[in-house]
Amino acid sequence: MSIYLPIAELSVNIFLLLSLGGVVGFLSGMFGLGGGFLMTPLLIFMGIPTNVAVATSANQIVASSISGTLGHWRQGLVDFKMGAVLLIGAFFGSILGIWIFSRLVAIGHIDTVISILYFALLTGIGLSMLIESSKVIRDRIRRKSVKRKIHYHNWAHRLPFKVRFYKSKLYISVIPPIIIGFVIGILSATMGIGGAFILIPAMIYFLGMPTSKVIGTSLFQIIFITALVTILHATTTFAVDAVLAFFLILSSVIGAQVGVLAANKLRGEEIRALLAIIVLGVATKIALDLLVEPDEIFNLSVIRLVF
Amino acid sequence: MIKQLIILFYFLTGVLTPSISIALVIGSDQEEIYIDANFSGEELLVFGAFYSDPSQSRDSKSDILIEVVGPPEDVALRKKDSYFGFWLNSKSVTFRDVPGFYYLSSTSELTDEFLINNQIGLLEKKKSEMIDWSLLTTDWGSIINEKEKEEFYNALIRTKQNDSLYKQVSDEIEIIDGNLFRSYIDIPNTVPVGEYTVNLHLIIDNEVSQEYSYNFMVTRVGIEEAIYSFSKNYPFFYGLISLIIAIIVGWSGAEIFKRFRRI
Repeated sequence: MSIYLPIAELSVNIFLLLSLGGVVGFLSGMFGLGGGFLMTPLLIFMGIPTNVAVATSANQIVASSISGTLGHWRQGLVDFKMGAVLLIGAFFGSILGIWIFSRLVAIGHIDTVISILYFALLTGIGLSMLIESSKVIRDRIRRKSVKRKIHYHNWAHRLPFKVRFYKSKLYISVIPPIIIGFVIGILSATMGIGGAFILIPAMIYFLGMPTSKVIGTSLFQIIFITALVTILHATTTFAVDAVLAFFLILSSVIGAQVGVLAANKLRGEEIRALLAIIVLGVATKIALDLLVEPDEIFNLSVIRLVF
Repeated sequence: MIKQLIILFYFLTGVLTPSISIALVIGSDQEEIYIDANFSGEELLVFGAFYSDPSQSRDSKSDILIEVVGPPEDVALRKKDSYFGFWLNSKSVTFRDVPGFYYLSSTSELTDEFLINNQIGLLEKKKSEMIDWSLLTTDWGSIINEKEKEEFYNALIRTKQNDSLYKQVSDEIEIIDGNLFRSYIDIPNTVPVGEYTVNLHLIIDNEVSQEYSYNFMVTRVGIEEAIYSFSKNYPFFYGLISLIIAIIVGWSGAEIFKRFRRI
């Protein structure tokens, strides 16, 4: 059974769509990630136009971040003030990101740029996860416990415009979080991701935020950034497919809940290593698409007239 | 039923106008094709009758030609080139007002000469050396080389063919009893919306003897049409509603599952 997607303007198999959402949701529930970094490339592999994949993915992340934030908020693990500061940067970043995106669509390089960005991103994520999880597995075998530093003091603490973030027990300049938000905003608008896997390490290492508050705060600000990106895409690139988003959200919400259950029963490192391999597999596919001579070196796109 | 009427009709015309030795009467099963949620392509039935006077010998060769032309659109054709091992888009050409869909079918194979003389066929020229560029509006960009232009032209046809949007065949028209014809034309699910024209030609001895044209529409209907036009006309509210749906489904999905887990 297939369903017609009104904005992507093509029919896709509904079961394929639901299983894609379910699998990405499952992985995101299991690892606490948004899953946008897998959703967008897999949609493109399915034949969904790049712009629709990016814009719709942002819409889907809104839904998955909301259910995640609720849990953290109830436990008081969201630093709203830090979230707001990050959002100031993210606001301007996503506007710039949308402008870059529209320019790339106009000059016809969007597919290539998105492919290269995703290749870099997925290789980075995949390799770091693989190294991290194999280290944990090795340490476990050697029965060693890893000591972690709790608080970092670096250049972020010496800049002006210092503000006190009570929840995170920080007194730092607002400039680093605004810059981080700005970068995440650009990436979110151009790639259709929430950016948690960049945001979380940045918040821990650059800002020195306590690990317990990081996930909730990042999820909280991802809701707003992806919401903004959805609106910006809807109004400038007209690429948000509500029907596609609806089925992805429905299946990913269910998948995420199953993933959370599974995460409690399984050992983390092995699963993380598995995810790392999946991520690297997707990265390899993207690289091959760029490197192998295509069967058809010409591609046709209809220039839609907005009416 | 319709077919019977048509047969009756051409007998009448045959009787009333004995001077017309051969007449062409056609029908089609639909005037509109609707794209809805389950749209996965459709078959368009074109049928009719070509009547020959039985008193005349049928030595003369008669053929039926069916042409379906979709709404014009502007397309950008991009060529990939290898840069340091990466295949990236390089040159780009814009073709204006090319048919979004094109189908040509005949009862026997037609020569290029015939098609060119009668201005039938894709972009009215088939062989590359006979491409009449004046018939096309193109933005060549940096391309000035004739050979490269030809390459782009052929790629335009080829990519459209690969998407099942351009097709030329000579074995899809079914002839029944020597006088009736019937053809099922595949309308794939990727067709653009708009007005389509069906041109029928009765060809006798390599000459177009009769012509008949009619139009049909491909339109979006139902919720898909509503969503599409809403997204174009009220993009801000469309984005907002997409968000609200995401919030409601995301929220309620998690809540329902939590309750379900408690039981």
